[in-house]
Amino acid sequence: MLQDVIAFAMLPLAAAIVFTGIHTWLGLQVLKRNIVFADLALAQVSALGATVAVAAGHAPQSAGGFGYAFLFSAIGALFLTASRNFARTVRQEALIGVLYVVATAATVLVVDRSPQGAEHVKRMLIGSILSVTLEDLLKLILLYGAIGALHWFVRRPLLTFAQDAELTPLRNRGAAAFWDLVFYLSFGLVVTSSVSIAGVLLVFCFLIVPAMIGRLFTPKIGFSLVIGWVAGSIASAAGILGSFLLDAPTGAVTVVMFAMALALAGCFRVFVTAPRKELKSNRRTGMLASGFTLFAVLGLSGLWVIVEPAADHPVVALIETTTGLLPERFMTAREREDYLDALAVARRHTTEVDRLYALERRTRWQGEELSADEIRRIASMQQSLTEMGRGERFVVDYTRARARERERWYIGIPLIIVGMGGLAWMLWPLHGFKRVRRLRTKQ
Amino acid sequence: MRGRRVLGVAILSAILLGSFPFAAASAPRIYVVTTTTDLASLAQAVTGELARVESLIPPAVDPEAFEPRPSDLIKLKDATVLVRVGLGFDHWLEKLLILHADPAVQRGGLGYVDASIGIPLLEVKGRSIEVTRRDGHAHGLANPHYWLDPNNVEIITGGIAEAIIRVAPELTQQIIVNRDRFLDRLRTRTAEWQQTLGPYRAVPLIAYHNTWPYFARRFRLDLVDVVEIKEGVAPSPARLANLAAVIRERMIRVILLEPYEPEEASQLLARRTGATVLRLATSVGSRPEATDYFALLDYNVGALAKALAAVSN
Repeated sequence: MLQDVIAFAMLPLAAAIVFTGIHTWLGLQVLKRNIVFADLALAQVSALGATVAVAAGHAPQSAGGFGYAFLFSAIGALFLTASRNFARTVRQEALIGVLYVVATAATVLVVDRSPQGAEHVKRMLIGSILSVTLEDLLKLILLYGAIGALHWFVRRPLLTFAQDAELTPLRNRGAAAFWDLVFYLSFGLVVTSSVSIAGVLLVFCFLIVPAMIGRLFTPKIGFSLVIGWVAGSIASAAGILGSFLLDAPTGAVTVVMFAMALALAGCFRVFVTAPRKELKSNRRTGMLASGFTLFAVLGLSGLWVIVEPAADHPVVALIETTTGLLPERFMTAREREDYLDALAVARRHTTEVDRLYALERRTRWQGEELSADEIRRIASMQQSLTEMGRGERFVVDYTRARARERERWYIGIPLIIVGMGGLAWMLWPLHGFKRVRRLRTKQ
Repeated sequence: MRGRRVLGVAILSAILLGSFPFAAASAPRIYVVTTTTDLASLAQAVTGELARVESLIPPAVDPEAFEPRPSDLIKLKDATVLVRVGLGFDHWLEKLLILHADPAVQRGGLGYVDASIGIPLLEVKGRSIEVTRRDGHAHGLANPHYWLDPNNVEIITGGIAEAIIRVAPELTQQIIVNRDRFLDRLRTRTAEWQQTLGPYRAVPLIAYHNTWPYFARRFRLDLVDVVEIKEGVAPSPARLANLAAVIRERMIRVILLEPYEPEEASQLLARRTGATVLRLATSVGSRPEATDYFALLDYNVGALAKALAAVSN
């Protein structure tokens, strides 16, 4: 089991780190060019190419398939290069958006006639990083190594021309177009290969989040790159290991981990490593904002439980479970008996449904086969038990709502007092602004 | 000149008059629309030449992710009999029926067939219910892949035949004859299929999606587990590691996969454990070999027996 866990985790982790390596570098340039969604557009254009290839009878992993995908992404690269000139009148991001939706719609139209179309579109979005093979990984390392080396040699012109279209002087437009094309072609190659493995969502994270984290701390490209690599690798490891621990899909957990890494890095930047002048006011603003949110949530929850005691109350439920002040305490003896009885009966019904299910499953292949009528009887019992369980849950909800009607005064009013009092306490010092203004006008 | 015109009109009238009764006799009056190709194949077997039968979902398309097109609305509008899988499997049909179909093919209408009625359902969890405004009928949702058990076909074709007879009572005799002939043939073939898979009774299998409980029950196979627990959500690595352990422990040699399902997770498990991935057909037309209902079962039984024979050697 442990060996399986390691085997299933190692290759995806290695792939995620390889992806972070090249995408952070490309992401820094994407941020500098202010074209955050270019990767989605290029990935979608190359997906369109791959889909056309399948429709033309080529296997997705064949040379023909890759040829089509790259040809389409090269056309996309040309369009993006040309879009910089249009961008003098319309924002480049808007054109990228148009490219994305047109490529997506065209893909849907092409796959409409192919049986596995919907599955193909979904796969492009979510990917399957978990099933990356050693062969895939070696190919990625070779490809990204070559592109990385090329970019290393031409890093100066690439970075010089990686700026907003409005800032490029007219006389440099030819050179800018050339380096744009080099960038978009290599970007297209990287994205074509990474999206087919990791999916559009995860590739967007690899591209933007580590680069953003790097840029948060330093404007220098070299340092940003190193910080991005470290943060991206930690987030990848947390995502893949987290998906083991949480028993949840790897791609989705990794995306959430990247978002958490970004939030943590943002907090660290604002509250710990900000310039001394800003540090004090940042911390003060942070405290104020979180305190304001906390007290507002408490006050509103108190108000909500008083207005609508039978509705959902997550904050009240949390207080109940942490303090042990459960709704049963506010029930009459009769209500409590009904409440606990209904809970127990509902549990018993669920167990019985599961037992019948296990019995039916076993008899599919073991012992005497059950007749159609016996199967119908089991199905009907399962159905009745489920309906009865639903009735018991109704009793639970009803008695809890009655209890909350009494409880609301004991818990709602204190919550409102704490919430409103806290807000007043926090907002009072802001009153000081008026004094400052008054002082200024006196001066 | 005038004489010629009269002659022309006369010839045209003769052609029209002559061809009209002919057209009326050749075009079937009954138009059966089904949601899946399997139901279409069964409806065709019952009606023979007496009806035109079409399916809304094209072959090999995931029925649970189907998106209707404008041509489907025309089919629904013209349908005289509508046959659906039910159990929430073709839930997208509900709204279309209310908006576009004749009342006769809506729930409660003469030409409406929910083929799941009367089937001995498996895995009734009843976690969600289907309630209609008209009759308040509610039933717990069960596993909807019941057509993969050939014994259920008697009930499915019964429902279809009844609806056609309700709509066109003059066809009663022919429909009954057609259905009986089909069921006779099916009984013989079912016995043959059971014989083919007989040596593999109780053999443990894993499937990607929970499609095969009815098939497993009919052919006495032990479907140990499924890779994908929630529709469309990729399995977690912890689940794959667990499954790998189960595959080794129970010595499972074959992982079943549907034609439109992603194969990455199953291939990963196969690489890790030495099991084989086998794509079976879930619907008529989902593989080139599965041209009708008999061919569907022929292919599935044959391919499974071949794969199991290969791994047991």
